[in-house]
Amino acid sequence: MKIFWDTIATYNSCTWPVQAIIIIIAIALTALLINRPSHAIRIAMKVFIIAVYLWIAIGYYAVFCAERNYTRVMTIFWIVLAVAWVWDAITDYTTFEHSTHHRVLAYSLLMLPLFYPLISLLRGMSIPFVASPVMPSSVATFTIGLLLLFHRRVNFFIVLLLCHWSLIGLTKTYYFNIPEDFVLAVVCIPAIYIFFHDNFLSNASATSKPSIRVLNAMLITGCSVIGIFLLASILIVFMK
Amino acid sequence: MMIALNILSDAFFAAIAAMGFGAISDPSMRSFKFIAILAALGHACRYSLMTFAGFDIATGSLCGALLIGFGSIWLGKKVYSPMTVLYIPALLPMIPGRFAYNMVFSQIMFLQSMDNVAERTKYMDMFFSNTMVTCTVVFLLAVGATVPMFLFPKRAYSLTRHNR
Amino acid sequence: MARETIAEVGKFIAEYSAHLMGCGVHTSRVIRNSKRICQSFGYDLNISAYPKNIILTLRDTESDGLFNEVVGTPALPISFEHNSELSALSWEAFDKHLPLSTLWQKYKEIISAPRINPLFVLIMVGLANASFCRLFGGDWLSMVIVFSATLSGLFLKQKMLAGKINEYVTFIASAFVASLCASTALIFHTTADIALATSVLYLVPGVPLINGVIDIVEGHTLSGFARLTQASLLILSIAIGLSFTLWLVKDNLL
Repeated sequence: MKIFWDTIATYNSCTWPVQAIIIIIAIALTALLINRPSHAIRIAMKVFIIAVYLWIAIGYYAVFCAERNYTRVMTIFWIVLAVAWVWDAITDYTTFEHSTHHRVLAYSLLMLPLFYPLISLLRGMSIPFVASPVMPSSVATFTIGLLLLFHRRVNFFIVLLLCHWSLIGLTKTYYFNIPEDFVLAVVCIPAIYIFFHDNFLSNASATSKPSIRVLNAMLITGCSVIGIFLLASILIVFMK
Repeated sequence: MMIALNILSDAFFAAIAAMGFGAISDPSMRSFKFIAILAALGHACRYSLMTFAGFDIATGSLCGALLIGFGSIWLGKKVYSPMTVLYIPALLPMIPGRFAYNMVFSQIMFLQSMDNVAERTKYMDMFFSNTMVTCTVVFLLAVGATVPMFLFPKRAYSLTRHNR
Repeated sequence: MARETIAEVGKFIAEYSAHLMGCGVHTSRVIRNSKRICQSFGYDLNISAYPKNIILTLRDTESDGLFNEVVGTPALPISFEHNSELSALSWEAFDKHLPLSTLWQKYKEIISAPRINPLFVLIMVGLANASFCRLFGGDWLSMVIVFSATLSGLFLKQKMLAGKINEYVTFIASAFVASLCASTALIFHTTADIALATSVLYLVPGVPLINGVIDIVEGHTLSGFARLTQASLLILSIAIGLSFTLWLVKDNLL
């Protein structure tokens, strides 16, 4: 617990210029992608995401969090995510096509990473002991928002890995008392539903086995179970 | 009371596991409930035998597999499915995954501790005992469930026949 | 009704038996089903099934007509539904003496029916692996982590197999991803080793394993060993994928 916040503080105080540059590039690229989408911008966005993921894997985990246990697993996990994006960039799989649905949720997810430090400050932490916008959970939130905004065709493998990540984040909040990660978990549930629904059910044929209705019901039940699980753990943390 | 609850929960989780592993192999929707029943019976049988009657894992698995085999020859007629369609998914929850995992783990540790004789012997021992359990149990599972097919070939071969 | 020619029946039997063999039916059942259909047309069938192809000879007992065919076995995904429906079709043909055109039509209907929805498979297999974790004594947290890890691994497997990537590479990659996701359980005070052990079990090739044993016991030793060899290679691939992860985290597991 103490190691956890200490490593974050060192990371923040040593790398804040890098973090600032990453945030500026992220804002610029997202704005370009929304207003003037082109092939070059799409590739640039993917390359940027790969770079950020590698930064998280190596810069954050392998260098600054080396004191914590099990950082090796985390490094490899984020490298696998980066590799998935490399594959995506090569095959041009995720098209970043603008879709009109779920825009409010998507935009709020995109903005969320900027509010992470505020949440920490509101909890009474002081700089540099804050969750910054360039940390694994905020990067995951940003990516989910980005994929949701352009969810016409997304790389579902990346979504699943990020969902796994947010699940770990949720459990971490419970074990290590880091309420910042609740945000990620809360926004993840509707996103999971939307992604699953669009990926599997929107273009399934009418003669699916079992029927679409059953599948949809299963999906809704699954998401509500996760939701209840989440509510319960939030309550437990606040009761403490 | 506690004992009954333990057996029931064991049966319940085995049933879910079997349905899931069945789903990979694309069974018909109507066979799911029979897969679940068979898996629950077989796994609960093995659990009870091992916990209360002191059976070892190999004999226990053989008994569970026999139960599943006879059950599938009986239930197969109800859904017009060959025996294998019902018993293969039902057997899967009995696969000794812990032993299989320890097998891989001890192999890696053996290779990692080549220059330490004591460690090396320990992992060698661990590797062989786990391999033996895994292979024996998997083989007995397959044999146990298949025996009814050879005992009642006539019935086993006409399970999918509709009119009689 | 005119009798169907031996060549027409032979073509159907070749297609039918190759399909059954490809979608994971044990050898003696393939042979029995095919013989049954041939019998209903009044022909004798001799068939030998090898791992990669099937050789069949139809003989007309009245006129000494012969038909020979060697068909390659297609590599199809395992399907229990095809197994039961096509077996039932052979009994129906035998009992009702269906004409060949009806047989073709029913066969086409059966094999073009929709396969089980991949989303359903994902959720069910996730739940299955989670309950497996429970059976081995894992706690609730490990179950949830195994569920999510299985989703990632299985999705990767589905996509890679659909993209016609080599089966062994697929198994190594998905075993690695699933176990890597499960190994994140190490952060918490939970039954992490059980989570690791169960996360890859959804890949165990149960159908070829058991079919192999059945084939060997019934004397089809060649195809039996072929199935067992294939299954062991797949298990080996799972072990390779798992050992990448174990090698990364081994210091924490001791």
